[in-house]
Amino acid sequence: MAGPSPSSLPSSPEPRLTLKSQLEDLTLVWPWIEAIAARYSVPADTQFAIQLCLEEALSNIIRHGYRGQPNQSISIACTVECAPAGTGNQDAGELVFTVEDQAPPFDPLAPFTAAPAPATASIQELPPGGQGIRLMRKFSSRLAWQQLANGNRLTLTFAIPPLAIP
Amino acid sequence: MPGGITRVVLDGRMDIAGAAAVDFKMNLIAGSAKKLLVDLQKVTFLGSMGLSAIVFPARAVHSRGGKVVLFAPNEMVESVLKTSGIGTLIPVCHDLDAAIAELG
Repeated sequence: MAGPSPSSLPSSPEPRLTLKSQLEDLTLVWPWIEAIAARYSVPADTQFAIQLCLEEALSNIIRHGYRGQPNQSISIACTVECAPAGTGNQDAGELVFTVEDQAPPFDPLAPFTAAPAPATASIQELPPGGQGIRLMRKFSSRLAWQQLANGNRLTLTFAIPPLAIP
Repeated sequence: MPGGITRVVLDGRMDIAGAAAVDFKMNLIAGSAKKLLVDLQKVTFLGSMGLSAIVFPARAVHSRGGKVVLFAPNEMVESVLKTSGIGTLIPVCHDLDAAIAELG
């Protein structure tokens, strides 16, 4: 194998972004993702998926979790990890985004929110909402939710190519 | 375009900001168009707010007995359309002649 094994990769810094619960603050997220993508040679499709999932997660928190209340806090941390054992892709890495809020508990993985798109005959019958959860499940490698003492933690994981050593 | 087709060209990122920027114009156009071709060739990103900016005008056109076609989305944008279910309810065409024929 060219280069060091994943276990010898240097520990990555833990970039963190803190937002207020207002949709305008989402404009801060794209350049942050771009910088992370550039650093870890993230392919364009994966960068698209990260942007899509984070936009959905954050807009859900702002509109539904905090119910439009501005100036509530949302933090996003990004860590780089090795692909878990058993995935058959031991040289690859993962970008793990951890999104935390202090909103009332909401589990996006609950069956009623995670249902596939309903089969409808026309665009008129397509119910509003629910797209965000479906998109996050489809475009992330893994999605996990944890209830905190005072909020929620959503973890979104994306596979990335073998890590480049700085 | 021929046959009374209205072609709307969307450009760039259809995220929350992008959707907000086109929402009003899209609904205005959808208020009168009977055959609407939404050109997605230059759309580099599509989120759920961007989907809404397409779905609501499409509903308006459909409710008046009109037709809508989505034209030439890139692979990731098309994947978003399919995952949401919208790509199966509004025809997606990659060939302009096929799109025009679909609008009939």
